[in-house]
Amino acid sequence: MHMIKRMKKCLSGVLAMALTLGMAACGSGSDKAEDGSGSGSGNEAVTGSIVIYTSMYNDIIEDIKSELKKEFPNLDVEFFQGGTGTIQSKVAAEKDAGKLGCDILMVAEQSYGEELKEQGMLHPHIFPDADKLAFEYDKEGYWYPVRSLNMVLAYNPEKYKEDEVPHSMKDFAENEKYKGDLSMSDPLTSGSSYCTMVGLLDKYGDGYFKSLGHQNVTIESGANAVAKLETGEIRAAMILEESILKKREEESSPLTVIYPEDGSVPVPSPIMIVDEKYSANKNIQAAEVLQEYFLSPAGQKLIIKGWMYGVRTDMEEHPYDSKSLSEMLKNTIPVDYEKCLKQRDEIRALFQKEVSK
Amino acid sequence: MDKRSGFHFDVKWVFILLILAFLLVFLVFPLLYLLFRAFFADGSFSLDAVKRIYSYSLNWDCLRNTLITASLSMVFGVLIAFPLAWLVTRTNLYGRGFFRTLFLLTYMVPPYVGAMAWMRLLNPKVGTVNVVLKNLFGLSEAPFNIYTVGGMVWVLTTFYYPFAFILLCRALERMDPSLEEAARISGASPVKTLFTVTLPMMLPSIGSSAIMVFVAAASCYGIPSIIGAPGKLYTITTRISEYVATGTSQGLADATVLSVFLMVLSLVLLLLSNLLMGKKNRITISGKSMRPNIVDLRKWRIPLTILTSIFAIVIIVIPFLSVIATSFTQNMGKSVFAEGNLTVRFWQNVFTRSTILKSALNSLITATLAATLGMIICIIMAYLLKRTNMRGRKIPDFLISFGSGTPSVVIALALIMTMSGRFGLNLYNTMAILVIAYMIKYMMMGMQSTISGFSQIGPVLEEAAAVSGAGWLRRMKDVVIPMLLPSIVAGWFIIFIPSFYELTMSNLLYSEKTMTLGVELFRYQMNSSQQTAAALACCILLLVLILNLVMRKLTKGKVSI
Repeated sequence: MHMIKRMKKCLSGVLAMALTLGMAACGSGSDKAEDGSGSGSGNEAVTGSIVIYTSMYNDIIEDIKSELKKEFPNLDVEFFQGGTGTIQSKVAAEKDAGKLGCDILMVAEQSYGEELKEQGMLHPHIFPDADKLAFEYDKEGYWYPVRSLNMVLAYNPEKYKEDEVPHSMKDFAENEKYKGDLSMSDPLTSGSSYCTMVGLLDKYGDGYFKSLGHQNVTIESGANAVAKLETGEIRAAMILEESILKKREEESSPLTVIYPEDGSVPVPSPIMIVDEKYSANKNIQAAEVLQEYFLSPAGQKLIIKGWMYGVRTDMEEHPYDSKSLSEMLKNTIPVDYEKCLKQRDEIRALFQKEVSK
Repeated sequence: MDKRSGFHFDVKWVFILLILAFLLVFLVFPLLYLLFRAFFADGSFSLDAVKRIYSYSLNWDCLRNTLITASLSMVFGVLIAFPLAWLVTRTNLYGRGFFRTLFLLTYMVPPYVGAMAWMRLLNPKVGTVNVVLKNLFGLSEAPFNIYTVGGMVWVLTTFYYPFAFILLCRALERMDPSLEEAARISGASPVKTLFTVTLPMMLPSIGSSAIMVFVAAASCYGIPSIIGAPGKLYTITTRISEYVATGTSQGLADATVLSVFLMVLSLVLLLLSNLLMGKKNRITISGKSMRPNIVDLRKWRIPLTILTSIFAIVIIVIPFLSVIATSFTQNMGKSVFAEGNLTVRFWQNVFTRSTILKSALNSLITATLAATLGMIICIIMAYLLKRTNMRGRKIPDFLISFGSGTPSVVIALALIMTMSGRFGLNLYNTMAILVIAYMIKYMMMGMQSTISGFSQIGPVLEEAAAVSGAGWLRRMKDVVIPMLLPSIVAGWFIIFIPSFYELTMSNLLYSEKTMTLGVELFRYQMNSSQQTAAALACCILLLVLILNLVMRKLTKGKVSI
């Protein structure tokens, strides 16, 4: 009997240990944030933790993280990277539960900023240099553009000649020569692709989707398209410029950007501070400093190094092998962001009907 | 004595109640809530969401595609798995031990990596195999097109037949050989014995492994998302993730309604199989283990070995070589051996990126926890099933099977909805929710392994221990577990491996602190660098193989999955 008792004790101990181990490993540790209200000058005074949700690529985040560590030695910055849709669902679910898992959002496009602003989820912070921004921003300081993606065309000169590929968005959808040899990313899951489609719908009308469908365009992820460009399986892709530039710089890839004759589609993406009520670490001061840093020339350099366009008109720097920002902005297709937000369901349904099927 | 036996009874009940509670809280309740949400979206009963989803013709195409591809994969998967399992367990095929491990390789890498490899090999324009065959036979058209129903079935089959293979190998090994011997003594040829005795006896196992393949194929996301899209072949899983990706609560509701279809489908299949095969199972395969007799293949030994080798080359060696080659290729437009095109930079990425290392650690922890806790449940459940007549012991067993039969995306959605604090329990964004999801999804395979272990050891020793006065816990510790060890370790692996690279559920459940290897890999695959993804996949395979080897050494060769 005694033996059994001991065994029982022992076993419950083991169970308890397994459980605590499990739970300890599960702790999210997000509530041990310190208050970042340190006084004094310099970035050493910026302390505590900040979590950023972003859709920037993971390779870029690694660099940004190490740079931030140098700039803010006492601030612990964590990134959660995910597709735009993933992050938006996450935010929606977390809002339901009353608290987000982050302090700053760097995701989607400005219509999402407007949406969150209306829901009272953002913290306003006026950026003094706002007049230097090349793109629209919120006058009350709820969101600012922090980086600009750019939708272009691309091809592989080792597999196809320059005159064998489309040179405009119109040609991409309408020239029968390219039928079955084209690829683009999914506007149902990618924010930049969705905005591009809205821009093209405005420019060319509903017929544009019909043409894309007729062209039998493959809807797939950016990396798939890049791989297929490389092997020659497809002739051209409608793709974000950054994915081609990255390939060129890092792997001396032959893949080449075509700036469409009818204009590329720049899609600026905002930075937003989460309202204290919803924020993970309640570290508003640090979040404000970090936002200003990302909008400053030093922070913009990190963005540009990540093959995206910056947002400041007073900077010469541009991504590797790309045009300069002012050059790029000379020929663009505008996007109606209000339409992006308001007609979302109809546009998605139309795309599915005409192109996906 | 009376008192003591009463106490044993209690200990067992504590365990069965704990297991039952776990399953009720983390499986039954979330799935019921999911059903509830589908019909009571706005608080009152409504079929609006159902109408919206099921009146949309694109969704019907998805349902049809899912049913067709999963059914065909199931048929072909079993047609491949049964002969292979028979050859490596019951005949004197050359190198059968080697083949047995080889045919499990596709179980050890994430399916979407395989999809990528097959896409490079079989795409109609520049697919390597197509190009080679075209040049070899002077064909004008590419013989294969991966972007078709056939292509999708091909990839699904090559990646999901191991589920059936593992189950069938175990069943064939623990089969009572006396009936077969009787047939042979009465003058039946080995082939006739195979078809008139072995095959009918195996039907229950074939049935349950067929269902496993079907459900795995129907709930697969990685493969259809990669090779389905170019051919405009959408499945329920890709549709569900599109709905989830809208980022709105209506999107989530629509995803839920669509996933109910998968849930109901798997429930019906499971009930059907229990009804048809439940009784048979107990009668035919329950005997004490004798070593099943080995069939001498005689003049067929060499041809069959060659045939098996060719098969292995086609479904294992070629795609794996393709993945390995990709991981070393700078420019995928050229041969890996072209000048300056060979590079190790992607392998360097794998070992230097802090996020990859952190994700690997996370997956190691979650998969280890899932496998360990899962096996504890499996051992107890198998004991209850095999060694007691306790009433209600079949209920948790059924629930475990139901969990495995439920599509991954359904489990994940249900857990998100119920475990993010709404009902007092907030596990969202923790590792616990991942561990629970993995356990629910993969426990059944571990359970099968343990049950087959029990069938082999016979109750005699344990009865001896009981007569000598050992209590239940003592008997478990000193007799049952040591004897079962090979099956337990094997079962542990069967849960650990798919948990280690799991994608579908992790993709919905991960957080910034709990990023997993599967998500990381998929993200490299889809967003940034396919070569890095290939290198990472090779590393996963290596790690799993090494672990497997170590275990085999530790258990002196008794363990193989």
